[in-house]
Amino acid sequence: MRKLIVLLLWATAVHAQGLNPEALLKPPTTTWPTYNGDYTGRRFSPLTQINQANVRSLTLAWAFQTHQQAMKSTPLEVNGILYFTVPNQVWAVDARTGRQIWHFERDSGGNFLANRGVAMYKDRLFVGTPDAHLICLDARTGEKIWDVAVADTAFGYYISMAPLVVKGHLIVGVSGDQTDIKAFLDCRSPIDGHLIWRWYSTPKPGQPGANTWPNADAMAHGGGTTWMTGAYDPELNLIYWGTGNPHPVLSGQVRPGANLYTCSIVAINPDTGKMVWYFQASPHDTQDRDANETPVIFDADFNGKPRKLLGQASRNGYFFLLDRATGKALVSAPYGPQNWSEGLNKRGEPIPNLKKQPQPSGTLLDGTGTNWWAPSFDPEAGLFYVNGYRTILVSYLTRNGSEANNSDHQGGVVSPLWSQALLAAIDYKTGKIKWQHKSPAVIGYGENGSGILTTAGHLLITGDISGDLVALDPETGKTLWHVYAGGSVTGCPMTYELNGRQYLLTAVDSVLYAWALPTDPHHLEVSQQPSLTSTIGATNSRSTKVGSRASPRYPTAP
Amino acid sequence: MGGRAWIVQIVWFTRRSSVYYCELDRRTLSDLEESAKSRLRIGGPTSYSSSRYELLFGGPNRVDNLMKPIPNHKGLYLILFVAACCCAPSALNIAQQSAAIKMRQGLWHEYPAAKVKAGRVQFQKTCAFCHGPDANGGDTGPNLMRSNVVRHDENGNLIGHVIRNGFPDKGMPAFHLSSDQIMNIVAFLRYRLDESDRRSPRHAGADYSAAELLVGNVQAGKAFFNGAGKCSTCHSPEGDMKGIASKYPATELQAVFLYPKGRPTATVTDASGKEYSGRIRLLTSYDVAIVDGEGWYRSWPIRSVKVQLHDPLAAHRQLLFKLTDSEMHNIFAYLETLK
Repeated sequence: MRKLIVLLLWATAVHAQGLNPEALLKPPTTTWPTYNGDYTGRRFSPLTQINQANVRSLTLAWAFQTHQQAMKSTPLEVNGILYFTVPNQVWAVDARTGRQIWHFERDSGGNFLANRGVAMYKDRLFVGTPDAHLICLDARTGEKIWDVAVADTAFGYYISMAPLVVKGHLIVGVSGDQTDIKAFLDCRSPIDGHLIWRWYSTPKPGQPGANTWPNADAMAHGGGTTWMTGAYDPELNLIYWGTGNPHPVLSGQVRPGANLYTCSIVAINPDTGKMVWYFQASPHDTQDRDANETPVIFDADFNGKPRKLLGQASRNGYFFLLDRATGKALVSAPYGPQNWSEGLNKRGEPIPNLKKQPQPSGTLLDGTGTNWWAPSFDPEAGLFYVNGYRTILVSYLTRNGSEANNSDHQGGVVSPLWSQALLAAIDYKTGKIKWQHKSPAVIGYGENGSGILTTAGHLLITGDISGDLVALDPETGKTLWHVYAGGSVTGCPMTYELNGRQYLLTAVDSVLYAWALPTDPHHLEVSQQPSLTSTIGATNSRSTKVGSRASPRYPTAP
Repeated sequence: MGGRAWIVQIVWFTRRSSVYYCELDRRTLSDLEESAKSRLRIGGPTSYSSSRYELLFGGPNRVDNLMKPIPNHKGLYLILFVAACCCAPSALNIAQQSAAIKMRQGLWHEYPAAKVKAGRVQFQKTCAFCHGPDANGGDTGPNLMRSNVVRHDENGNLIGHVIRNGFPDKGMPAFHLSSDQIMNIVAFLRYRLDESDRRSPRHAGADYSAAELLVGNVQAGKAFFNGAGKCSTCHSPEGDMKGIASKYPATELQAVFLYPKGRPTATVTDASGKEYSGRIRLLTSYDVAIVDGEGWYRSWPIRSVKVQLHDPLAAHRQLLFKLTDSEMHNIFAYLETLK
C-alpha cells in the first residue's frame, strides 16, 4: 500500500526540473526531449544562430570522451542536461560544459551492437538493454528505480531503440535477428514498467494477414522486429512504426506469401494497441531489407491540397509517401538503382521478382538502401534526405546439410562485391532525386553511416563514409563546411539552444563533439570569475577591460 | 600492485585504444579489470558486424581500410587469450571472463570439436529421425534451434533431463544414454546453435560446393567471354586466366571474376603543373592521397588539384551493373573448365 501511495505521489508530483511531455509536441529548440527531437521524426530544428553565413566559423565548444564503443545514440537535452547511451551505460552531462554529472553502468549478457538512447518522462529516464530489459533511472542521480525483462535474451532478443513516451506511456520495440522469433511492440507503464498492451508483428492463425504465411509455425517465428523509434500524431491519435525483415532471412521458399506484417509501416492506436492500417514496404522480403527506418510525419501540399503525410526512405531503396490517416500510398519511387522489384502492386508496394530470390547457384543483386541512420525532412526546402548505399552482391541460398544450413536463421550466404555511399535529397511530391552527395565506392560492404539534421539556418548536417563531418546546402548539396573528425561519424547529429548559444552535437566513434560559434574572446576572460581571480592573483591587463557584456556576441543571421 | 597492473597494461597495449589504460597511477587494478571486462563484452554475437569492425580496427573510413578483409573475431579472441595466458593469472582471469561473456551473448560453441563430432553421430542415431539431421526439425519433432530447453541448458542440466525422461505425452520416448553420450549431444546442439544464430549472413566460403554453381552453359560462357562481355580484351585462358579454377574455391572464383580486388592508381597534377603518380591511399569527397613511386605518401585537398584516376576495374564495374544471372552462370561454367 505504501508503495502504491509513493507511486501515486510520483505520478502527480510537480516536476520543476523534469520533462513535461508537452515539449514533445513542439519543434525542438531549447530542448531535444526525445530520440528524434519531437514526435514528427523530421529532425528539423527551427534554430538559426548557426547558419549558412557563419557555419565556416564553427568551433569546438567541448568534447566528451566515453572511452567506449562507437556511440549510436542521439542525446536528449532537457533543462541544460544531456542524456545519452551506449549499451548498458547512460551518461548525464552538462550541456554547456560537457562535464559529467553522473554515469550509470549495468552488467549483463546479450547483444551489445547498439543503443540509440533514452526516453524521458517527468524526472525519469527509460532505456532498453542488451539482454532485452527495460530500466528506469532517476534523471537527477542515475539511480535505478526499476528493471523489467521484456523478452528472452537466449533467443537473441535485445533492445537497441530509444523508447517513445506517448500519452504518459512508454512505447518499446525489440531487436533480435539471430534466430527465428516472434517480434512485438510493447506499451508499458512509466511507473513500474508493467505491460499495458502488446502488438505482435505477425498474426495468429485465423487473424487478418494469416493467409500470407504457409503455416502457424512460420508466422509464430516470422520476425518483423520493431527496433527503431516511431512517430506519433496526437490529432489522429496514431503511432507509426516500422517493422523488420521476416525470419528466416534469406530463405524465402520456406515462407511463401507476403509475410505480413514484416517489412511494413503500421499505424497503431496508442490507447488500445490495435493496428489501424498497414503498408508493406517489402512484401516477401528475402534480402534483409527492414522497413524500420523512421516514419517521418509532416503536413504539406500534395497535388495542390494540404495533406497529412508520412514519408519513409525505406531500407529496400524506395521512398514512400503515404496518407497517414489511411495508409494509402501517394508516391512509391526508388531512390537508387535496384534489380529485385518487378514494379508496384495496386497498393503501391514493390512486387518482388521471385527469380531474384537467393538461389543455390547465386543471384546477382543490385540494390540501394539505408539503415538506422536518421533521415530528415526540411519543410523549407520541401526535401526528404537519406544516407544510403548502392550495393552489389551475390546471394546464395544454401541447401540443407551444408555448413550454413538453409533452415537456419539466415538460410544463405553472400559475397559482397561493390558498394557506394550516397546522400539523396528526395522531392517528397514526386520521389525524384533533386541532388546526391556520393562518396567514392568501396569493395565489399559499406555499412557505415550517420544520421541527418536539417535546420532553419539552411544547413544539412551529417557525416559521410570517409569520416568527414559536413554541413551542406539543403537546396543544392553544396559543401559549406567539413572537417575530418578523427573517426567514423556514427551517430545522429542534434542541436539545442542554451543560454542564448546554439550547440550542434555530433558523435564520432566514442567522442561526442559539441560545436558552436565562437564567443566574443573577451567573454572568457578570468576577471569574470572574481573569487578565482583573487585566489590565483591573475593580473591579465586585458581582463580589466571586460566583464560588462551581458551575453556573448554572435555573427548575425543573413 | 604495480607488477600486476603492468601485466594488464601489456595485454591492453595490444589494443588500439591502449592510451587510456596508461593512466595506471590514477586507477586501481580492479578498475582496470572492470574496464577490460566491459571492453571484451562489446562485440555482441555477430561475426560480420560493421560495428565490431569499426570498434576493433578503427572506422572503415579510408579506401585502404575497406579493402582489407573483415577480420575474424574468433582469431582476435584467440590472440587475446594467448596474450593473456602468456602474461599472468590476472590477465587469464579476464580471458576467462570473456569466455563466460561470449557464452551469455549466444556464442554458444564452447565444446571441443571431438565432442561435437561424436555428438553429431549420436544425434543421427537417436534424435535425427524426429528432429532432423541438423536439429532443425523434422516431420514429427520440433526444431531444436527454437527450443527453450536447448537455449537455456547449462552443461546438460535441461537437455539431459529431457533425453532421459522424454515427453511421453508429446510422443517423445525416454533414451537410456550414458552421461558422456548426453554431453556429446549437448556439445553438438551448442555447436548447431552457434552455427545457426547469425545476425548477418556468413560470407560465402571455401566449403560451398562448386556443383551448386554449375548451372550455366560452358559454350555460352565462352562466347560471352570472347564476345559481348569483352573479357578477352584484357584476359586470355592461356595467359592470366590459365588454371584459374584451381586457384580459387567456387564462390570466390565467382566473386573474383565479377569484381576482383584491384587498387586504382591516380595521376595528380598540382597547381604548378607538376604531376605525381601512384597508388591511391585516400580518396574522399574532399581529399586525395597517393603513395608515389618512391614510397612517399602525398596528399592534397581534392579541389586544389587535377586528379586522373586509372581504375583497372572500370570495365568490370560496367559489366557488373548490367550482367544477368544466366550470363554470370555461363561465365562461371566456362571459367570452371580452366583448371
